[in-house]
Amino acid sequence: MEHSKQTQFSSSDKKDAGASSVVNGHCDGMLKRAAGGSSQPPAAESGSQRPVMESWREDRTRSVEDNEMSLPSLAAAYTTILRGLGEDPQRQGLLKTPWRAATAMQFFTKGYQEKIIDVLNDAIFDEDHDEMVIVKDIDMFSMCEHHLVPIFGRVHIGYLPNKRVLGLSKLARIVEIYSRRLQVQERLTKQIAVAITEALQPTGVGVVIEATHMCMVMRGVQKMNSKTVTSTMLGVFREDPKTRDEFLTLIRS
Amino acid sequence: MNGHCNVKVNDTVEEFHCNNSDLLIDSRKSVVHHKHETSRKKDEDQSRLPALEAAYTSILRELGEDTDRQGLLRTPLRAAKAMQFLTKGYHETIEDILNNAIFDEDHDEMVIVKNIDVFSLCEHHLVPFFGKVHIGYIPNKKVVGLSKLARIVEIFSRRLQVQERLTKQIAVGISEALQPKGVAVVIEASHMCMVMRGVQKINSRTVTSTMLGVYLEDPKTREEFLTLSRSA
Repeated sequence: MEHSKQTQFSSSDKKDAGASSVVNGHCDGMLKRAAGGSSQPPAAESGSQRPVMESWREDRTRSVEDNEMSLPSLAAAYTTILRGLGEDPQRQGLLKTPWRAATAMQFFTKGYQEKIIDVLNDAIFDEDHDEMVIVKDIDMFSMCEHHLVPIFGRVHIGYLPNKRVLGLSKLARIVEIYSRRLQVQERLTKQIAVAITEALQPTGVGVVIEATHMCMVMRGVQKMNSKTVTSTMLGVFREDPKTRDEFLTLIRS
Repeated sequence: MNGHCNVKVNDTVEEFHCNNSDLLIDSRKSVVHHKHETSRKKDEDQSRLPALEAAYTSILRELGEDTDRQGLLRTPLRAAKAMQFLTKGYHETIEDILNNAIFDEDHDEMVIVKNIDVFSLCEHHLVPFFGKVHIGYIPNKKVVGLSKLARIVEIFSRRLQVQERLTKQIAVGISEALQPKGVAVVIEASHMCMVMRGVQKINSRTVTSTMLGVYLEDPKTREEFLTLSRSA
């Protein structure tokens, strides 16, 4: 299955058709570019050679049609799993489980179908405001890319506009795009922060995520009450400790 | 499997039954399971891993991910092992874990173990649900080691489950092991299949209960249990 669309965030409608497999910020070695390629540096090597800073730029585009086409093989894989666990896939409770589980998994990774540009919906407004804007306690659900087990928690976002503000729900939508993927909490935090930075060019952005990892709670070390906190501070949030302090205090209250 | 008698049972299950036919007539097994509860032995897990891994690799690919990227390289193996761990209840039986921790004690007042964390997998979506179990029983001169109640919860919860069935299996399991005067089990859980997808109601909780013996017959006993298990 080929996913060949690569969208550069800052350019509005340039799309590359190439056999690149670009997922969640990583680019593999096969990168063919159509004539008039984007201004991004071609990456002939594997993803590990690309600077991580640019990883947010790549938005994978999986379509609804792709989902429908892959449903039978996903369901077949889940049937194999049920059998491999020793269950009987023919018993009443499990009869349609492969399909339900496949659809559920596609839902949990629907972030791959969405692009930031579409979601922002031009909801960027010129506003003579340069005080901190915070949207906190955004519920977030993601999937651990190492164990395929849920992660859930809350995201707190703060930014200092530079005369341009963003529709508030769009912050939550940005969280949705990046969290509904196979993720690592550190990367998720950074992707959200960088996306907001690129969309608004604000004076600064701060993102804090506090989450519970089921892979640590349900299995492995089995520490029930543990939470993982990651943060990304960009711009003035990084440089000025007082701004950062204000942000951290306000999200705590 | 898991309390259902099916006409079509896969080869491994049949083989297991043949090899362990003596277990079929063991009266200490839960009456809910006429065939043996599990079709999975520990050493089978290892041999089944490659098939599970292949299935997970296929899933990752079908979701559109790049299975060669660093973060996903060993994910099929990890996910397969995680899934086996989350369904390890299939190869545990009550008899094994009770470990003869049943003691004669001249006690016939209610015993409650509450706030037992429970983690299970929804059998419909293969997504976790978790919450707390409160167990109460009135001994009939025989008490059980307290941790064994939690271990019984573990056996039945580490399976592909439906919350109603889980509650009943725990209650019946205790009932058969101890023959107490009554058993009460209440589970309050949050279902990720409702929270992360579908209706997406984050604060919803599902509560199920099973009351056996004197808890079923006597409302005052039931009320005492519910009050005691609810208090902080």
